[in-house]
Amino acid sequence: MNPIRAYLSAVWNILRKDLQVEWRGRQGVPVMLVFALLVVFLFNFALQLSPDLQAGLSAGLLWVSLAFASTLGLNRSVSLEQENKAMDGMLMAPVDRSAIYFGKVLSNFSFTFLVGLVLLPVFSLFYQQNMFKLMLVLVMVLGLGAYTSLGTLLAALSIQTRTRDVLLPVLLYPLALPILIAAVEASRSILAGQPVADYQSWMTFLLACNILFTAAGLMFFETILEE
Amino acid sequence: MTKKPKLLRFLDILCLILVPGALVLILFFTPTERVMGSVQKVFYFHVSAAWAGMLSFLLAAVAGGIYLSTRKQKWDWLSLSAIEVGLVFGLIAILSGMIWAQPIWNTWWVWDPRLTTTAIMELIYLAYFILRSSLNTPESRARLGAVYAIVSAATVPLTFFSIRLFRTIHPVVIAAGGSGGSAFNMTPRMLLAFFVSLFVFTLMLIDLVWHRSQLAELQAINQGEGG
Repeated sequence: MNPIRAYLSAVWNILRKDLQVEWRGRQGVPVMLVFALLVVFLFNFALQLSPDLQAGLSAGLLWVSLAFASTLGLNRSVSLEQENKAMDGMLMAPVDRSAIYFGKVLSNFSFTFLVGLVLLPVFSLFYQQNMFKLMLVLVMVLGLGAYTSLGTLLAALSIQTRTRDVLLPVLLYPLALPILIAAVEASRSILAGQPVADYQSWMTFLLACNILFTAAGLMFFETILEE
Repeated sequence: MTKKPKLLRFLDILCLILVPGALVLILFFTPTERVMGSVQKVFYFHVSAAWAGMLSFLLAAVAGGIYLSTRKQKWDWLSLSAIEVGLVFGLIAILSGMIWAQPIWNTWWVWDPRLTTTAIMELIYLAYFILRSSLNTPESRARLGAVYAIVSAATVPLTFFSIRLFRTIHPVVIAAGGSGGSAFNMTPRMLLAFFVSLFVFTLMLIDLVWHRSQLAELQAINQGEGG
């Protein structure tokens, strides 16, 4: 087998394993989903949203609830590997460590993206506006891609600490701020029905974030896990 | 115990002379700004502190990178020291900026790109200390701290850029010139005082970081002996 195929198959195996664990246990996505919905309800009461305000705020609420819910999934994806020292087993496998990182990013991305897809009809219903827009889904792919590639790296970092997963939000939220700003702004433009030219720069920005944080993951994932 | 280097002592004395010297220059040599009055004099130390803060965070990332490739502890001490000193300079920049903003903008705080980026930067680097304090071995503190310092330094410009883009798309209430705008129309005396302040703060930064990393070295020796 040539090296590229071996690498891709290692990535695929990790992704498949995570999807299988999720499918059999169903302990990640449902929790994230319920949590995201709870965030929406909490905000609704905390901010006393009137119907005319809701439409303008729905993009922001979508991303805040996604950002909060993803941390649950990110933490779970690494803490799962710490149980029974499964991570040690993976590290011993004769594959490039970055393959583990990519596999984890892909599985984290799939879970959060799934949560996002379920949230769309819910938001459409609650905020009386059509959120089923192709461009919004694209923003979600770019935004969640960047968010999970940074998040996976920081989750691997925070799991090494004594406080374990408690630390992740403190590390992740300030660093992920540019991603959230760009994603919220792009989503808001799309929901307001503006032409692509108005939010194109945000999409490019998100793409750049994806590249930057994936590169950071490639460079540092191995350093973080070495013992 | 390691002896205090001669150059460091020289820097100490230089700072002791130059910091009050710069203050005298600012208070008595520079003309009073026509519109803003004497409160404009905050500007010299304010910009210098912000500059020193940024520079030291950059230094911390570079030192972190060198640590990861050489694995020599002294680079970690340098990285840690630079972040600690940078945090203080950042705080000085924010506080002195607030003192200026209260009479000029009639508010202590505005969600302007520069202010927001500086505040987020402080939060990012506060998290650095939480991260370090929850790690057990000096080696893991150094290794994970270095990774975090590098990733953080990469996101700071992203944050600034994203907030700036966000403000240029939307109408801005306070002119983007802000404190920096006045830098372009200064009298020669003001310009002189400004560059002297920048120079003095850079010297002070080197001096403080050096001292702090000597302290880190002593702490490490002490801990090694104490078991």
